[in-house]
Amino acid sequence: MTAINLTDMDSGQVINEIVKNGGEGITRCIQCNACASVCPVAQAGFPLYGRLLIKKLQTGHFEEIIEDPSSWACQACNRCTEICPRDARPFEIVFAFRRIQAQELAISASAFTPLMNLYETGHAVYSESSKELRAKVGLPQEPPTSVGSEKAKEEIRTLLDNGPMGDLGIF
Amino acid sequence: MAKVGVYVCHCGSNIAGVVDVQAVEEFARTLPEVTVARRNLFMCSDPGQEIIRQDIRDGLVDKVVVAACTPRTHEPIFRRVLEVEGLNKYLFEMANIRDQDSWVHAHDKKGATQKAKQIVASAVAKARNLAPLEDKYVDVEKAALVIGGGVAGIFSALDLANMGNKVYLVEKEPSIGGVMAQLDKTFPTNDCSACILTPVMVDAGNHPNIELLTYAEVESVDGYIGNFDVKIRKKQSYIDWNKCTGCGACAEACPVRVPNEYNAGLDNRPAAYIHFPQAVPKKAVIDIDACLNCAGRKIGRELKISKKTGKPLLAPCERACPAGAIDRSLNLDPKGELVEARVGAIVVATGFKVMEKECFKNLAPDSPNVMTALQLERLISATGPTEGKLLRLTDMRKPKTISFLSCVGSRDENHHTYCSRVCCMYMIKQAKLLKEKYQDLEIYMHFMDVRTPGKDFDEYYTSALAMGIHIIRGRVGGIDKLPGDRLRVQGYDADLSSNIEIDADMVILASAIELPETIKPLAQKMSLTLDGSGFFKELHPKLKPVETAVEGIFLAGCCQGPKDIPDTVAQAKGAAAAAAVPLSQGRVKIEPIISEIITDRCSGCGICVPLCPYGAISMDSVHEKPRAVIDITQCKGCGVCTTACSSSAIQLHGYTEDQIMSQIQALTA
Ligand SMILES: Cc1cc2nc3c(=O)[nH]c(=O)nc-3n(C[C@H](O)[C@H](O)[C@H](O)COP(=O)(O)OP(=O)(O)OC[C@H]3O[C@@H](n4cnc5c(N)ncnc54)[C@H](O)[C@@H]3O)c2cc1C
Ligand code: SF4
Ligand code: SF4
Ligand code: SF4
Ligand code: SF4
Repeated sequence: MTAINLTDMDSGQVINEIVKNGGEGITRCIQCNACASVCPVAQAGFPLYGRLLIKKLQTGHFEEIIEDPSSWACQACNRCTEICPRDARPFEIVFAFRRIQAQELAISASAFTPLMNLYETGHAVYSESSKELRAKVGLPQEPPTSVGSEKAKEEIRTLLDNGPMGDLGIF
Repeated sequence: MAKVGVYVCHCGSNIAGVVDVQAVEEFARTLPEVTVARRNLFMCSDPGQEIIRQDIRDGLVDKVVVAACTPRTHEPIFRRVLEVEGLNKYLFEMANIRDQDSWVHAHDKKGATQKAKQIVASAVAKARNLAPLEDKYVDVEKAALVIGGGVAGIFSALDLANMGNKVYLVEKEPSIGGVMAQLDKTFPTNDCSACILTPVMVDAGNHPNIELLTYAEVESVDGYIGNFDVKIRKKQSYIDWNKCTGCGACAEACPVRVPNEYNAGLDNRPAAYIHFPQAVPKKAVIDIDACLNCAGRKIGRELKISKKTGKPLLAPCERACPAGAIDRSLNLDPKGELVEARVGAIVVATGFKVMEKECFKNLAPDSPNVMTALQLERLISATGPTEGKLLRLTDMRKPKTISFLSCVGSRDENHHTYCSRVCCMYMIKQAKLLKEKYQDLEIYMHFMDVRTPGKDFDEYYTSALAMGIHIIRGRVGGIDKLPGDRLRVQGYDADLSSNIEIDADMVILASAIELPETIKPLAQKMSLTLDGSGFFKELHPKLKPVETAVEGIFLAGCCQGPKDIPDTVAQAKGAAAAAAVPLSQGRVKIEPIISEIITDRCSGCGICVPLCPYGAISMDSVHEKPRAVIDITQCKGCGVCTTACSSSAIQLHGYTEDQIMSQIQALTA
């Protein structure tokens, strides 16, 4: 691997973007790795778990990591925020980065399907085969949630269409 | 018959965890002339001491052996026990069964117990032969010498002077102030260094009890606590300081340009110069090595009259001086003037130097854009060469990217293994000051690890992070020079796990703090020793932090080890307080454990004279025959002469021949 030349990286702008999108703790991180020690993303072996993602952003790396799917593996468990000794709130930084990724249409496939499911069926995790299974045990084929309610689905779509997600034009 | 009491200490589990103290106690009881043997968890505690006192009061013992830790810290405590009960305090002997036994033989309990018994037997044998000794006293000169006029020396001098002592403050430069006077602002509060230091310098300069001897160096130190005789050489300034008003006219007129020490060599100064604008005293000096002797005005040369103009031919400095302080016709002694003083105590506060960038060949030292942090300090100071503007001296342009390199020469087996303690903080300070002033400046700081352990220090570091200063974990390996006077810093970012490069316009080296080589002769003159890191060695790192092995000489500031201003001032005040003790007591004790010549036995061979490391022995005429005599104020009781004398004419009190022989007998029995 050749050396990264930090001189041309516009770290200031990257940090500003993250702060604008809700990750204002980014300059407080001291790279202690406490968040990584409890992070399921790190445990699952995703390369850009919270601490390293923050380091890359702090040093102005952006183009290189924008397509990385790691951030989409975040379970929003919030353990990092509870453990961080600097109140950097890494979870918020991960999500700020995710927002920027979404704006750049760099949404991971793993996140895309649930998103489309949500738009169409009202559930992020939904499978057609569940209908049969439900019938077998004597339940109505559709659960009494947004899946079975056209009105609820309509409300969800309205929310998604009119929020920042709608602007991306993916639905 | 002596009545020896033996007291065995458990020292918690320090001794009792290894040595069978009960067995030692029982063994002690069987030794000749031992009347009582007891033991206690902590003999040095109040109840422990009381056991001995009660036995003395009951008339059971008249000589005391304590088998315990070490005489280094505890001998004075037990001697005092004897003293308060009316026994001569030198009838005490310590058996070191901790430092020399339980600590070193922790793995061999049986052997350690056996050794403890032998040590006790030997101590008892000596104790049986102990004789009372008398303390002697000498009067103390109520004056102090402070060497070094940095912030440490200034505070020590002021405190001693405020306590009513006469103080000689000796500084080798023309002005006091030291490195602090070179700093721009100071962490952790970022107050202007000159603003807080100058008033204190002025106080020291005006204090009625302080005799300021700047541009001066200590030539010799003789004597001992209470009565040191010092000779101080005032260097020749070639300018009459009684007349000089510090106007600086001579400096303006002088055509010479040589590197300016005050600006860390970043710019030049004339041969006639004033050290810096806030100098105390504000007096000019002529650097005679750099002086051109303009108009043929060599010092001491007669004044000539110009044939053309009929006016006297004067050097520019002479002509410029409105106060008439420069007269080059005078035959001034280049050696200056010798001042003699007698003082009761000495505070050494000679400070430090930073390693020059030339020591680091891999860091492009020949580039003017690589500079030490002390040079940067001058560059960003309002009184510096650019009046505080951050400019590259190669092109006078503002840099866009700066890299700071920490631990340059520190924590490095090739240079100094210690941490220089202030660099992390001053680098953060400099970075913050620059970022406040130039927000578009990119600042990288390469650290092995960031060390900010003082009060309010970590908060200072965190605030630098919030400003967007980049902290990079990883020591820099080298700097390459790029076209356009740029510098490529080759580093590694441990957090990214990647090699990194930074093309910087300037690189700042936080170079190590060290004791200058030039201090060594001074250390020798005062018989002071240096520690493994090369700084002045204190007597005990924890309990005697300002004392030295030479009684009456104390240490303050960075000459004792790297430290920041808060710690320097605290230590300086500590040193002043410690130095004031003998001055205020008015007399000091002379240890009676020193050597004495038994004149009847002395053959006058003179062997002992050159052997004494303290120069305490000389030959005198007794009944018209040469005989050795010892100056009791100089003798340190080292015993060298005692062992060397072939006539057994020298006796070291407290270690007489019968005492030592009986110890050996006990050990070999
Ligand atoms: C780049 C840099 C930045 C720093 N910034 C800060 C900061 O922001 N805040 C902070 O708290 N600390 C800072 N420090 C540390 C601070 O400079 C020291 O703590 C302080 O100067 C120590 O004072 P001193 O009196 O012990 O030594 P010095 O300042 O070195 O003074 C010693 C004096 O003794 C004189 N002398 C030496 N030898 C002799 C001799 N033989 N005879 C007579 N006189 C002699 C010297 O000329 C000098 O005047 C910084 C240090 C550096 C290098
Ligand atoms: S919230 Fe996300 S980044 Fe934080 S610990 Fe959980 S999974 Fe990791
Ligand atoms: S716990 Fe906080 S300070 Fe530590 S690495 Fe994670 S974000 Fe940074
Ligand atoms: S004679 Fe005076 S003016 Fe000329 S170089 Fe010497 S100090 Fe300077
Ligand atoms: S005991 Fe040591 S210091 Fe004293 S006179 Fe003998 S050699 Fe000198």
